[in-house]
Amino acid sequence: MAESAAPPRARFVAWLAGGSIADSRQAPMRTILLFLAPALIVYAAFTIYPVLRTFYNSVHTIGPRNAQTFVGLDNFTALLTQDRVFWKAVVNTSIFTVVGTIGDVLGGLLLALCLFAKVPLARTLRVVWFTPVLMSYVVVGIIWVWLYDYDWGLVNLLLGWLGLESWQQSWLGDPATALWALVVTHLWKWLGFNMIIFLAALHALPEEVLGAAELDNCGWFAKLFHIIIPMLRPTLVNLLVLSFIGKMMMFDLVWIMTGGGPLWSTETVSTYVYKRAFNWNTFDLGYPSAIAVLWFIMILLFVMLITRLLRSRDRLEF
Amino acid sequence: MATVSIDKLSKHYAGGSEPAVKAVSLTVADGEFMVLLGPSGCGKSSVLRMIAGLEPITSGTVAIDGRPMNQVPAKDRDIAMVFQSYALYPHMTVHANLAFGLRRRRVPGAEIDRRVRGVAEKLGLTPFLVRKPHALSGGQRQRVALGRAIVRDPKVFLFDEPLSNLDAALRVSTRNELIKQQHELGTTTIYVTHDQVEAMTMGDRICIMNKGEVVQIGKPLEVYRNPADAFVARFLGNPPMNLLPARLEVAGDRVVARFADLALDLPGYALPALKPHVGGAVTLGIRPEDLYEAPPPGMATRTQPIETRVVAVEPLGAETLLMLTIGDSGPEIIARIGRDTGLRSGGGASIAVDPQALHLFDPTTTKAIPRTA
Amino acid sequence: MRLWLNHLRRTPLVLFLILYTIVAGGPFLWVMSMSLRTTPEIFDNPYALPVKLHWEKFANAWFNSNYGTYFWNSIIVVVAAVALLTLIGAMAAHCLARYRFRGSRLVRFVILSGMILPPQLLILSLFQILLDYGLYNSLFGLIIVYVASQLAMTVYILEGFFAQLPQDLFDAARMDGYADFEIFWRITLPIGIPAIFTTVTLNFIILWNEYLYAVVLLTDDDKRTLPLGIMHFMGGHQLDVGMIATGLMIAIAPVILLYALFSETMIKGMTAGAVR
Repeated sequence: MAESAAPPRARFVAWLAGGSIADSRQAPMRTILLFLAPALIVYAAFTIYPVLRTFYNSVHTIGPRNAQTFVGLDNFTALLTQDRVFWKAVVNTSIFTVVGTIGDVLGGLLLALCLFAKVPLARTLRVVWFTPVLMSYVVVGIIWVWLYDYDWGLVNLLLGWLGLESWQQSWLGDPATALWALVVTHLWKWLGFNMIIFLAALHALPEEVLGAAELDNCGWFAKLFHIIIPMLRPTLVNLLVLSFIGKMMMFDLVWIMTGGGPLWSTETVSTYVYKRAFNWNTFDLGYPSAIAVLWFIMILLFVMLITRLLRSRDRLEF
Repeated sequence: MATVSIDKLSKHYAGGSEPAVKAVSLTVADGEFMVLLGPSGCGKSSVLRMIAGLEPITSGTVAIDGRPMNQVPAKDRDIAMVFQSYALYPHMTVHANLAFGLRRRRVPGAEIDRRVRGVAEKLGLTPFLVRKPHALSGGQRQRVALGRAIVRDPKVFLFDEPLSNLDAALRVSTRNELIKQQHELGTTTIYVTHDQVEAMTMGDRICIMNKGEVVQIGKPLEVYRNPADAFVARFLGNPPMNLLPARLEVAGDRVVARFADLALDLPGYALPALKPHVGGAVTLGIRPEDLYEAPPPGMATRTQPIETRVVAVEPLGAETLLMLTIGDSGPEIIARIGRDTGLRSGGGASIAVDPQALHLFDPTTTKAIPRTA
Repeated sequence: MRLWLNHLRRTPLVLFLILYTIVAGGPFLWVMSMSLRTTPEIFDNPYALPVKLHWEKFANAWFNSNYGTYFWNSIIVVVAAVALLTLIGAMAAHCLARYRFRGSRLVRFVILSGMILPPQLLILSLFQILLDYGLYNSLFGLIIVYVASQLAMTVYILEGFFAQLPQDLFDAARMDGYADFEIFWRITLPIGIPAIFTTVTLNFIILWNEYLYAVVLLTDDDKRTLPLGIMHFMGGHQLDVGMIATGLMIAIAPVILLYALFSETMIKGMTAGAVR
């Protein structure tokens, strides 16, 4: 009788707040939903649904005003058999990814080792070396476009001072060099990131194991090769995968610096998707959706392959 | 097999106000098992690491077989070390862990295999050779760490508190194992620990360190019986020696130690040693096992009684510990007596002390006053 | 003698360190210097230091070239998105970390797998969806998209941290009579501040610099965020290097300022997603 006398609002609030249950690992479903609902709703509506819709789009032709025509796997077959630009983009992206990932990870390790070797001002250097990571691709891209400029860019200027005039060229304007120029810029931005992670991992290595290695007749190179790198293996694999995924999806840098040119020499899969969707003479969202889907599947397969190949079977407990 | 000698070794860590190691000098004979014993932070591990070459030396010399080692890098000193955390290579199998040092020294493959298998056999590790460290128990890992040192056949073994991560039962059996191995191999060994039981049972000689300095070096029983100062006196022995303030006075033709209302004879001391302290204060030391509920046969004429009040009785099974106060409210002491006792807490007790076993220390310098016995 | 040899061996290392520091930090100093010089001055001698500090360029950029608008748009979008992300991300992370319920593994898997979804897989459909719901070309639409895009990473980091909080704490709170939401608000959030700091930092930097979603989903000039604004300006005034540099400084300045004050937090925040 007292229950029904309580005003509905108070009862609702009490219901929302949930009762106290002895086991704090359990909660009534309504509480759980309360916590999860906002995130799940946003996520479902703006991540899951779009993904599904992209898959749906990929087997349709989506014209203006949402005119949809089912085309089955036509988009995919056209992509795989007739689209030379797509394959050029795949090659470009693959080169960019492979070279960039290896350079990224090795470079990051190298920098971390430099700082690990009890160098003076290591803390300050660490902070400075990390700065490029914080900058937008817009900033980084524009700066490097200027640095690569044929007439007054620093790269050509330095080559001139070093007497290597013959090496000066239009870095971003020459199809042969444009992609590599982008790789360098990308490395410049991200080396600091990998460095920080490797540095943390190096500091986490147990000192006594390194001491034991020293007693076992290891100079610094042997220590690096036999002990440090094997013990860093989980970190290495993680960073390789992370770096790999990031480069396969790269859009901003390419778009800002070269827009995919010159002559498709820097066209990546992501810039191609954008162009097909928004910069093409025929408006069709189906075809670029197919590209996105195909590319996503390829990334997934590669990641699973790499992880399976490189992951050590035992846990490195220490 | 080699001698190790350290001469005025010092270590000053950057940012520290005090040196961690102050002019430590020590000589370890060929084949000797020397224990560095002391509380945490006394500098013993630093000394060990400097001998190993893992820590730069601030001043002083380390010499092995007479050769100064200060400039020699760790890997060329022909030393093997067993770390407190074992420091096994986590990504290598036991076999690889054992073989690594040999491989790095270009020992031929067949020889490596022979030695590794030999050591594995000796330490009971043969079934574990293909496992990685994370699949081993603590005791097994410890044996691998030991094996890694043995297989190198070095001039010197260094041990840095290797037993402290093991549980009590395992510690005892591993301790005996270590002693056995060392005797068989006859390798000069320097062993660091804070556990006095390990020191007493394992060392040929022990070196007690405190606050970066060497306090006393000697055979375990000698150090136990004749501690050089109050710190050593209390560090060795469990429960620790009782230390009480007392005064030295002349009583007739003898010098006695006077505390509470008692005057205790000092048969262990010669008059000349006592003379400078007569009339002044001293610190009196009595080990708990030298206090008796009833004088043992043969000592009845020697012992003197002390009136005490029993504060607590702790039966440990094999023996009993008594917490006592001198008189009714004097300083507290601990006595260690047999397992059958009728004493109860709150009651009075007359405890017999053997004056032969009394120790005297200078109250200001804490150094022991030399005994004749 | 030996000491001297040691120094000699280290010299290539030191040289390399100095070189790389110049390479890493030089370009920003260059942009900073260019932002205070006029374009003719720059073309005259691109790498010289400013003779006269042209502070008026900043005012010019802010008011005349619309950088003020771009800046405020970025602030609104990023602050709102980060705030929302932190709140709903923390709620979801707390729930996944603390409670056992049927389907929790599935939910965790679904959310965390979002971390490897490429933006390309989403933008085309998001473009359609926002158009359909009238959220296209609106800051609000962009905010929601930003929240969705960073949710997976945020939940991943926060859940990892929350899961390590000792369960005893929560048992004690429960026995003291706290209700579930109170526990979240009064215990998880305050204790979880370090992790929340890292996710706030990470999200702030990523979203402040974000380009792809913004360029697809915004078209009006007065809705543009800073990265878009700069690119738009570049498009029209490619040769006005001086003004572009000023615009770049406006975009970088907040980040550099925060970095100068909180470098450790920011480094930790930015790398939080990758450290295992």
